[in-house]
Parts: sequence; C-alpha cells; structure tokens
Amino acid sequence: MPEYTLAAVVSVVLVMVLELAWLRTGMFRRPAFWITAVIVFGFQIPVDGWLTKLSAPIVLYAESHASGIRAPWDIPVEDFAFGFSLMTLTLLLWDRLGSRERDQDHGRARGRASTAPPPPASAGRAPGRER
Amino acid sequence: MPHRVLRSPQIDRFQYLLLMAACLVLTLPLEFVFRARVYRRPSRLVRTLVPVLVVFLAWDAVAVARGHWHFSDRYTTGWLLPLRIPVEEFAFFLVIPICALLTYESVTTMLGYLADRRRARRAAPVGEPQGAEHA
Repeated sequence: MPEYTLAAVVSVVLVMVLELAWLRTGMFRRPAFWITAVIVFGFQIPVDGWLTKLSAPIVLYAESHASGIRAPWDIPVEDFAFGFSLMTLTLLLWDRLGSRERDQDHGRARGRASTAPPPPASAGRAPGRER
Repeated sequence: MPHRVLRSPQIDRFQYLLLMAACLVLTLPLEFVFRARVYRRPSRLVRTLVPVLVVFLAWDAVAVARGHWHFSDRYTTGWLLPLRIPVEEFAFFLVIPICALLTYESVTTMLGYLADRRRARRAAPVGEPQGAEHA
C-alpha cells in the first residue's frame, strides 16, 4: 500500500482506538458528531479542492505515495481519511475537556454573564483541580 | 493587463493563507448565531488545539520529509516557523479544527433547540392535542 494511503488509514484506526479504548466520550453514538462529519466533509470539498486542484496546485502530492484516486475533482481520496482523523481527534479532545469541566464545576451556569461574580456555593469545586 | 494583476505573484503568495483566513471569517458567525461558544472558552480551546497541532504537524513533517507532498513556491509565502514548518501549515492545523468545533457546537445547539421544542410541544397541556400525535 502506498505510504500516504497507509498513513491515512492507520490514522483513522488510531483515532477510533483512542476513543473506544481510552477516552470513551461516547462521541460515535452522538448524532451531532455524524451530522458535523457530513457538514465538514461537504466543506472539505471546496477548500481541499482549491488546495489540490491540478490546474494550479498549492499542495503537490507524489503520485507514488498515494492510491492515485483523486475524487471529487483532483482531491486525493486519502485526504478525506486525513480530514476525518483531524476533525475527530479535535472533537474528541474538546468533548473530553468539556465533560471534565462539567464534572469539576457543574455549579457554574452556562448562560451567566462573565462579569458576574463566581457562584458562592463552590463546594463542588473541591474534588476537581487534581490535574 | 487586469489579467496580469490577478496573476501577480505578490497576491499569489498569499493564496494558501487567504484561504485559511476565509475559512475563519466564514465560520465566525457560528460563534454568535448558533451560540457555539468556542472562542469564548479559550482555555478549553487551547488545550484542545495544542495536542492536535503537535500530532498533525509531526505527521506533516514526516510526510514532507518522505516526499508524500510539498507546497507550491508560487502560492505560499515561504515564511517558515521553527522546525521549518510553513506558516500556512500551522494556520491550517489551527483553522480547520476551529471550523470543525464551531460546526459541532452549532449542530449541538440546533439539536438541543429542536429537542426543547419537541419536549415543549409534548408537555403542552391542552391547546393542540393532534400536535403531540404528529410529533
């Protein structure tokens, strides 16, 4: 298998393993994740398309390291696996930090103005901050 | 002559960077319209982006070293960060994750809004009894 193709496939496997074996955010069961994936995939086409178009490429690929399949237009298909890994790693980390924040101080109301003083009942903070 | 201006190398050098700027500008309204609250959680954002940057810039460096891909001299600035990282690649691995986060948080807002509406309609005492049937 060409190197970039292999790396792209491996990256998807690794990010899946990261979630299923370690982070366990439950992201893959969430409709919001898959809807986001479809939207990001849709916007990848014009952006990546602009970067890789063969008429005036900004990023130039060595054909020997990729499958040679370029679709849609001139986008190397491997880029979609690359993009999936980039998006998924980002969302997993974000989600993981979010649930940690919620665990640490669930007393802080989301909608409260940032200028408001911290809530007086901050006893819930004690178990957190161990990081 | 206008053709020459459009193809001027001075502008072409910024193509990659301008594309990244366009992505940021186009997704910025999500922060406010859908209350994505990504930029307004800077600490969480930074702690998400740093590992992503490290992993993907490392991949990028290996890929460039192995010759998987390289960047056009014409459409990039040639500005390099430490470790010979093109400023465009650094921008890419910041901007694309931010766009993904704004999308994800907007979708979450939207789904939450729809769920609230469904719940409110179901909880509505009288008013429209067949509305509950439809939902």
